[in-house]
Amino acid sequence: MPILSRRAALALPAALVPLAAPRLSRAQGQAEITVHYAQPFIYKESYDAILAEFAKREPGIKVNFITTPNYEEGAQLLLRQAATSQLPDLSYQGFNRLRIFAERGIAQDLAPLLARDGDPAGAGYTPNLLALAHFGGMQAGLAYAASNPITYYNAELVKRAGGDPDNFPQDWNGVLELAGRIDRLGGGTEGMWFTWSGDDWMYSALLFGHGGRMLTEDERDVGFAGPEGLGALRLLDRMVKEGGMANMTAPAARQAFAAGKVGMLFQTTALVRGTLASIGENFTLRTTGMPVIDPQKGRLPTGGAAGMLTAKDPAKREAAWKFLRFSTGPEGQALMVRNTGYLPCNQIAIDDPQHLGAFYRENPLFTPAVRQLPISIPWYAFPGSNSVRVTQTMVDNLARIVEQRATPEQVQQDMAAEVRRLLPRRS
Amino acid sequence: MSDAVLPPRLSPGLSPGLAPPRPRWRAGETLTAWMLSLPAVLAYWVLLLLPTLAAVALAFTDYELGMDGFAWIGLGNFAELMTDRGFLQAFRNTLFYVAVVTPGSILGALGLALLIEGGTRGRTFFRAVFFLPVVSLTVAMASAWQYLLHPTIGPLNAVLRQVGVEGPAWLSSSGTVMWALAGIGIWENLGFNLVLFLAGLTAIPRDLYAAAEVDGARSAWSRFRLVTWPMLGPTTLFVLTITMIRAVRVFDTVKVLTQGGPDRASEVLLHTMYQEGFTYFRLGYSAAITLVFLAIVLALMWLQTRVLDKRVHYG
Repeated sequence: MPILSRRAALALPAALVPLAAPRLSRAQGQAEITVHYAQPFIYKESYDAILAEFAKREPGIKVNFITTPNYEEGAQLLLRQAATSQLPDLSYQGFNRLRIFAERGIAQDLAPLLARDGDPAGAGYTPNLLALAHFGGMQAGLAYAASNPITYYNAELVKRAGGDPDNFPQDWNGVLELAGRIDRLGGGTEGMWFTWSGDDWMYSALLFGHGGRMLTEDERDVGFAGPEGLGALRLLDRMVKEGGMANMTAPAARQAFAAGKVGMLFQTTALVRGTLASIGENFTLRTTGMPVIDPQKGRLPTGGAAGMLTAKDPAKREAAWKFLRFSTGPEGQALMVRNTGYLPCNQIAIDDPQHLGAFYRENPLFTPAVRQLPISIPWYAFPGSNSVRVTQTMVDNLARIVEQRATPEQVQQDMAAEVRRLLPRRS
Repeated sequence: MSDAVLPPRLSPGLSPGLAPPRPRWRAGETLTAWMLSLPAVLAYWVLLLLPTLAAVALAFTDYELGMDGFAWIGLGNFAELMTDRGFLQAFRNTLFYVAVVTPGSILGALGLALLIEGGTRGRTFFRAVFFLPVVSLTVAMASAWQYLLHPTIGPLNAVLRQVGVEGPAWLSSSGTVMWALAGIGIWENLGFNLVLFLAGLTAIPRDLYAAAEVDGARSAWSRFRLVTWPMLGPTTLFVLTITMIRAVRVFDTVKVLTQGGPDRASEVLLHTMYQEGFTYFRLGYSAAITLVFLAIVLALMWLQTRVLDKRVHYG
């Protein structure tokens, strides 16, 4: 039990502090909280920077971090600890897993705390940003880091295929035509790769782009059985047929792109840093927004993480809330963006140039995602205990199109039938 | 990853005490014996038996991680397994994997062992070369394989392109993915089996070959058929069991390279168990898959100890 022993070890100095400075502790309140986050290889610097700043303002609060290598293990850890009553006080989880915690009564509703602190919008928590972590009928968390899908392209390959890197096509017709030309350059080059595998996030980008929904408004039936869902599947089919999309796993596609063998790559903006590092001097990387499908109704999904409050003890709960507020406030968000490249989740940090203006001027590759913020909507999480399985079912069906083993029409039918079976039954 | 399954005859028997103990000391001695074995007995109960029993119990519930309670659903999980497309696919894929990896790595290892044993130079070198995959970390090696088998920048397809063949997308096409994984499996198991066969070969008395030659077994093939192969019987049996068990529990390469995709084409038993339990949080269902896995492993061990063991030990 490393957590327990660590807690015990850390409790010792904390217990000695009141003896040394009794007045300070009475004035500020003494609390020690445990905070969990996933993916330290992406987030560690941002949390360390935020904690350093936070410690200056709240010297009475001691924060201990625990981490998991990824979101999946983070969710497992919390569910296991919920069963044994060893939960941390605050946990940052992937958006699409918050609903699991909300529906199992592990996440606490933050709406009363937000209301107590005054107008949320005034503090930068606009309704759009709050919606990112609103799951299971409650404010299950506060968004900490956001991302949306963007287009990465190889400027040299675009030029060789007769395209203009400064005037990248804005819609899928133009994009697929250019990708087809890159594919025909020969020498093992592939036109494009769209990150359809892993989860349903990128499929939802195509579906939301048509103005479609995953489930109907009342969540009783699938929402992708109509023309929007078919349109999204047909686009995937066209990527293979016209865009020369090769059948590759996601890591293989990223390697091939970094090696200069793939013309364009459609994936989350969160990977800009990593992609730049793996490209090195191979070619010039450019980014732009996702091709527009429906200029009016089109939307894009938002990925990322949100902090959810799990502390039961009132003093710890108060301290954990303070840390959550600071990490999602303007200063915390500015630190997060500068250290990760994710999108800010606080309207003040977005609007006020003193926070991030210089960062975006110096790092133009990150700006397409910011420009897409107005059309970004929450990542849809399915209801019920089959929530995660539904996404895998969809990915399995998309694979049939990518391998050209089934038509979009067949896949739409099968996918709808299989997902319907996994939705919670209602009496 | 413990491979410490030794054939029964290799485990040292406890030598009986030389002098029979005096009766009044017997109780004390029994107690001492229990005290001495207590740590091992405790560890066995706490780390092996109780968790196994807990998994058996879980398999008959609908327990989900993070849920407050659970219900006993009898054979419900097993009934669902029989109709679950994903599980049945995983079961078939695992059978395929075992059916390719077992003969591939055993025959390959036997052939190489004979070559190395028959060669005059570089025995240690070749033994080390083929044993390297066994001591290397599978997860790290999987990344190397991912690059080797890469459809566009991978060396394997680059070689194929040289001879005018457009290589397939090994790990992302449902037609080739199980073959690619089985190939990696053979590479992984070959060295281990090779070392076992080499040990078996050195244990064959030289005079048997001389006797066979006197009796008219002149060709290499008849020497192999009449002496080497029968004398390797016990070794082969052990290698067969171990390889099958190792093949049934294939997981690392699938988790790292394909995650069961595309469209469950490379889903295997342990990966399905992991997905159900730790991605979908259905621990009850996952425990049911564990029981199926356990039954297969136990059946293989039973096959070794009860059925085949009788046929390969002479004397």
